[in-house]
Amino acid sequence: MVGETLRNYLMIAWLLPLAGFVVEIFFGFYSKNPRHSKAAAWCAVGCIGAGFLCSCAALVTWGNANDWCALEHHDSHGEHADAGHETAGHEHGEHAAGDHHVAEPAHNAAAAGEDHGHEHAVAAASGDAADHDDHASGSQQTTYSGVLYTLGKFGSLELSLDYYIDSLTLVMFTMVTLIATCIHLFAMGYMSEELTDEYVDHQAHTSDGKHVHRPGRFYRFFAFLSLFCFAMLGLVLAGNIFQVFIFWELVGICSFLLIGFYTERKSASNAANKAFIMNRVGDFGFLIGLMVLWTFFGTFRFGDTTNAEGVVAEQGLFSMVHRDEATGNFLTEPITGDVLITDNHGHALQQDGQNRSIPYYLLVVAGLGVFAGCVGKSAQFPLQTWLPDAMEGPTPVSALVHSATMVAAGVYLTGRFFPMFVQEVLLTIAYIGCITLFVAATIAVVATDIKKVLAYSTISQLGYMMLGLGVFGWGAGLFHLITHAFFKSLMFLCSGSVIHGCHHEQEMPKMGGLLKKMPITAITMLVGVCAIAGFPMLFGLHFSGFHSKDAIVASALAFMKANPSHFLLFFIPLLTAGITAFYMFRLWFYTFWGTPRDHHVHEHAHESPWIMTVPLLILAPLAWLCAYGGESGPLYLMLTGDAPSHLANGVAAATEGGLVMPGHEAVHAVHIQAGLLALAAAFSGALIAYILYGTNLVNVEQMKNQLSGIHGFLANKWHFDDLYDALFMKPAHKVAAFCAWFDKTVFDSILHGSAKLVVLVSQWDRIFDEKVVDGFVNLLGTSTQSVGRSFKVVQTGRLRQYVMFIVLGVVALFAVVFTTFPG
Amino acid sequence: MQPSLSNYLLVGAVLFVCGVICMATKRNGIGVLMGVELVLNGANINFVAFSKFTALGLDGQVFSLFVIVLAAAEAAVALAIALNFYNNHLTIDVDRGNKLKG
Amino acid sequence: MTPEFLLTAIIFLPAIGALVLSIIDGKAVDAIRFMSLGVTIATFVLTLMLWMQFDYETAGIQFEVSKAWIPNWNIFYRLGVDGISLPLVVLTSLVSMLSCVASWSINKLHKGYFMLFLLLETGMMGVFLSLDFFLFFVFWEVMLLPMYFLIGVWGGPRKEYAALKFFLYTLAGGVLMLIAMLMFYFNSGGTEHSFNLIELAKAASGTSDHITGFLSPSMQITAFVLLFIGFAIKLPAFPVHTWLPDAHVEAPTPISMILAGVLLKLGGYGIIRIAFPLCPYGAAYAAYALVAIGVISIIYGALAALAQTDFKRLVAYSSVSHMGYVLIGLGVWKITEGTTVNSDMWLMGINGAMFQMVAHGISSAGMFFMVGVIYDRVHHRDLNKFGGLMGLMPLYSGLAAGLFFAGLGLPGLCGFIGEIFVVLSTWNYSPLLAIIAASGVILTAGYILWALQRVYLGAEYKGPHKEDITRMNAREASVAIVLLAIAIVLGVFPGIIFDMMHASTSALVESMKLGYQHAADLVKAAADTQAMR
Repeated sequence: MVGETLRNYLMIAWLLPLAGFVVEIFFGFYSKNPRHSKAAAWCAVGCIGAGFLCSCAALVTWGNANDWCALEHHDSHGEHADAGHETAGHEHGEHAAGDHHVAEPAHNAAAAGEDHGHEHAVAAASGDAADHDDHASGSQQTTYSGVLYTLGKFGSLELSLDYYIDSLTLVMFTMVTLIATCIHLFAMGYMSEELTDEYVDHQAHTSDGKHVHRPGRFYRFFAFLSLFCFAMLGLVLAGNIFQVFIFWELVGICSFLLIGFYTERKSASNAANKAFIMNRVGDFGFLIGLMVLWTFFGTFRFGDTTNAEGVVAEQGLFSMVHRDEATGNFLTEPITGDVLITDNHGHALQQDGQNRSIPYYLLVVAGLGVFAGCVGKSAQFPLQTWLPDAMEGPTPVSALVHSATMVAAGVYLTGRFFPMFVQEVLLTIAYIGCITLFVAATIAVVATDIKKVLAYSTISQLGYMMLGLGVFGWGAGLFHLITHAFFKSLMFLCSGSVIHGCHHEQEMPKMGGLLKKMPITAITMLVGVCAIAGFPMLFGLHFSGFHSKDAIVASALAFMKANPSHFLLFFIPLLTAGITAFYMFRLWFYTFWGTPRDHHVHEHAHESPWIMTVPLLILAPLAWLCAYGGESGPLYLMLTGDAPSHLANGVAAATEGGLVMPGHEAVHAVHIQAGLLALAAAFSGALIAYILYGTNLVNVEQMKNQLSGIHGFLANKWHFDDLYDALFMKPAHKVAAFCAWFDKTVFDSILHGSAKLVVLVSQWDRIFDEKVVDGFVNLLGTSTQSVGRSFKVVQTGRLRQYVMFIVLGVVALFAVVFTTFPG
Repeated sequence: MQPSLSNYLLVGAVLFVCGVICMATKRNGIGVLMGVELVLNGANINFVAFSKFTALGLDGQVFSLFVIVLAAAEAAVALAIALNFYNNHLTIDVDRGNKLKG
Repeated sequence: MTPEFLLTAIIFLPAIGALVLSIIDGKAVDAIRFMSLGVTIATFVLTLMLWMQFDYETAGIQFEVSKAWIPNWNIFYRLGVDGISLPLVVLTSLVSMLSCVASWSINKLHKGYFMLFLLLETGMMGVFLSLDFFLFFVFWEVMLLPMYFLIGVWGGPRKEYAALKFFLYTLAGGVLMLIAMLMFYFNSGGTEHSFNLIELAKAASGTSDHITGFLSPSMQITAFVLLFIGFAIKLPAFPVHTWLPDAHVEAPTPISMILAGVLLKLGGYGIIRIAFPLCPYGAAYAAYALVAIGVISIIYGALAALAQTDFKRLVAYSSVSHMGYVLIGLGVWKITEGTTVNSDMWLMGINGAMFQMVAHGISSAGMFFMVGVIYDRVHHRDLNKFGGLMGLMPLYSGLAAGLFFAGLGLPGLCGFIGEIFVVLSTWNYSPLLAIIAASGVILTAGYILWALQRVYLGAEYKGPHKEDITRMNAREASVAIVLLAIAIVLGVFPGIIFDMMHASTSALVESMKLGYQHAADLVKAAADTQAMR
């Protein structure tokens, strides 16, 4: 029953925002006074808030069902014994205690499948139970999956909407709903200017130079937000990768709608288009990956499906490839090197008397394809340019969609699909992440728009997550995903508060000294900045970013030690950790410290109303403490409860010169060293920021002029936009224009040419008809007529003459008859 | 002495030729009509003669009766034409009329 | 009403309506309008009744009617539906009904317009329901003539040109079809089943009880090519698509809706109903060409759409692009060494193609309608002279965005399912073509979003007649809402269509495989005889 309960909870959480969207759109449109009512916002908050409660309930149900083994397992290492309950208490209060007695042994959960034809049991990590020998959950069921309904079934192929619930799903659900609730609340204050019939958009101008006046669109904003929440939660709940793709596109379109919320602004609609189309470029790759998987595996499901007897009916993707227990590499056909497609026990499936297999390179293609989708969605190099532009959307959107949830979906999918990635793909992921985090961080250093700095920082942090995943730090990458979601959404909300307080001023050079005017915003922002910089210790408790970034850097260091040729994968993130601390503190000092640079802005600045500061005050402790306990804390243990099993032992080099993937032990061994290095980098970055922007020791403007070359390069975002414009946009329009021209000129002129030819032929035909055919007939007519006319003279009209003719004729006749027939 | 076929034919031929000459020479319309009657009667004599001297039975007589009736009708029509002609031309000289000219 | 009579009623009810219209006074415009609307609604209800009585489990023809029509030449009045024609029949009556509502904007010669309109519906229904090749051909031509006049009389500035172009193109296709029809007739013995599409299909796979002789494999290829060109013109596929933009641009809005919503489907329907089952060997032979043409159509259509400045022309090219998926889905029949590989993928492709036809019928009809709504107000279609409609006509813009997203292939809307199912089934056939086809998603997003941006977004309206821009009225809104609602329902529950055609498409795939095997055996036998000599 656990599976069903979980499914029901999460489905409620998932579908409520959709219901909210429908209600908000319809009642917003048809109600009498939609422009002044906050009803839509309360509806949206209610839906997502209820969703959060459902997620919590699901989390507790899940935990109870397996006796919190994911957390207890690490007790043997002597870590916090009741960390789990603390988290539970922290995040969901009384639910944890109240539901505790519901805990049931896992075999009950498995038996639940009998009641429910579609219930599927999946061993924690695709049949590798052997690796779980020290894991209490080895005998426990922690993953639940099943079918919601079928989209289409063709012979043995079936596409359906499924659900797949494991610890990652639950953590993501809780995180998304919690952050979304806070942001909805914040948005209620931030968007309150829209509660009017006559909203003046100061950034959109008509052709006569006036500002655009339009009715407020408060309800529409919340409707879009609700729709986004629905899509995002659907993405997380998805039980097959096709379904992920569906919601992938849906979050994309929601992002499009929200970025372009200020439809009157050209820059906003441009940014929205750019975001969607660049995501589509990634989705093109995603689609290729899907095609490969579909062709060779014939299914998109992650987990296996079981029939009524609890026997596996159809395998999911994760159990169709098997890893060698010793090396952690995929089982392959000895001769061809193709990866075998296996049953649950590692035996190759048969088809037409041969082993089913997929060529290794196609597995690489599939992995890279799926990752390409993640690159688009998570704004990784080379598709990173849309995210900064996406800041055109209202700030709550940036906080929710473009920092905490949607852009993290790429990382989530990479983590979710991790069991299918081969080494080449992981290495690509690592390098893409590495390039991205560096490029974005350098641009963030020179950006002056407060939201753009945060956007680049988001890209950079997403790069960290990708890097973490790529160097086998599965837990580390996703850990950072969660912590980053909290502190980045906090910082975006703070920036929103600043922008709101400064009357839509986003340029940091016009701010400064806002600490006294907006103390709550400033302090909560500082918490976020410390968290992202990875600072340790405040009142004996580490900031969340400290834990998660350490985990990534440690994974990278262990990876470098195992594969010395990939040293960049360690040094660049380390360097960037310093840059990160630098630009984040630069932002903080620029905005809140020092003296006001623009008095007009400063005088009108004010702290935001409670509805905006309360979310900040909720998020700030979470950003600080959510990673409590680090890698032995509840969040990390919860997340990694269902981690791919081959990670623990690492992977040996499959071939000469192949990659060695370090196991958990190796990472653990270098943890302290990596942590110290990262800390040193972060402190030095922060120190430089303080010297440059917190004191007056250095003239920053002068420095900028001295470094104008590199500053220009960075300020122009490494010229990526120009490059893409020249490489893709312009040629695409050229080719399109050519096609249109071709269609109009070539095809149509062929057509018109043949039409002319036909006309020409028919003209000749007419001439032939008139001259030759008609001519002959006319000739016949005229000659007959002229002959007749020549006989006319005989016709004298004289009666007696006629008689003479008759007489003579008769005589002549007689003469002829008698001469011809004499006798 | 019974007259032979050739005697009859001779009489018929004389009548015929007289009629033809009358038609060809008379300018008076009535004269022309009289010529026509002569020609018809010549032919009638031939019919009757052939009927008498060959195995035709009464066919010749019947034919000649037809011709007589026809001649009467023709004479009626022709006289009406002549009357009309006179009304238009104040004469019945057939040379004065050339309406049949083609 | 007996089921058999139902089909006849569906076909001829509109024609009877047209007859009745002919005795109504031409000045009673409203009477004419409501009368025609009533007829189209009645037809729609009849098709719904057909759907209710339809048995999903039966693969073969249902409600079969067979009466001798011209017995001397073995021409029969044969009707029937199966899972392949039923969705299209329902689509036809639906789109006809909606475009009849859209026809309120017609402002001259109402009586003639609505009579031709109803005749057109009769022709379309006849094509989808007839099972006699000759009858099919007759309805095919019957449909052509009203269309010619509807474009040529009620069209835009270049209506004569467009109507003639449309007429000649389609007629050329019809002639090729006629040749193929006679090939089938005389090669199958000219008996009373020689025009029977079902028996001919059986004969192709060697299972007919009535027809002994049939086309040789090489003649099958010829016949297939002839039929395919005929249907590809209608589809339309690159490079015989150029009638489409002109016809669409010049046709009045409701006729554009019919053209895109139904007429283009006739091409796909012809391929799947006639060209495929009657010449399986030819189909297998030309499969790669089909898929390649489909891929080219997708990319070429999308690129051409990207460069248009005329709103309606853009939508027209998007039709070319979208119908490319239909060709791909039908063509992904992978045969290696004489046996079909993974026919489930092909089945999926065919289902995807059929779904795409229905989905495109909904989304493109909607898009054309939306273009028409704004054209009725401002009388121009220049994409660069719009903008800001989101503020001026919020409901219209919202519905239009929904319908254009359906065309864009957004999940949850109907366009997605067809496209994605087709594309997924393509890798099995040819990875290269699959990749090119998949790249269409980028271009599609490009032209649709760009168009949306130029028309609906922005600070202000930039074109003429700004004062004429009024909100959507209830009549217009009802059409758009119905289309969008169907687009959503089909996008979320594609099973509605898939269940309907599942049995029939599966049977089609099986009979095609059998037919190919049959013909391949003949070829092999001939080769063996050759070798013996």
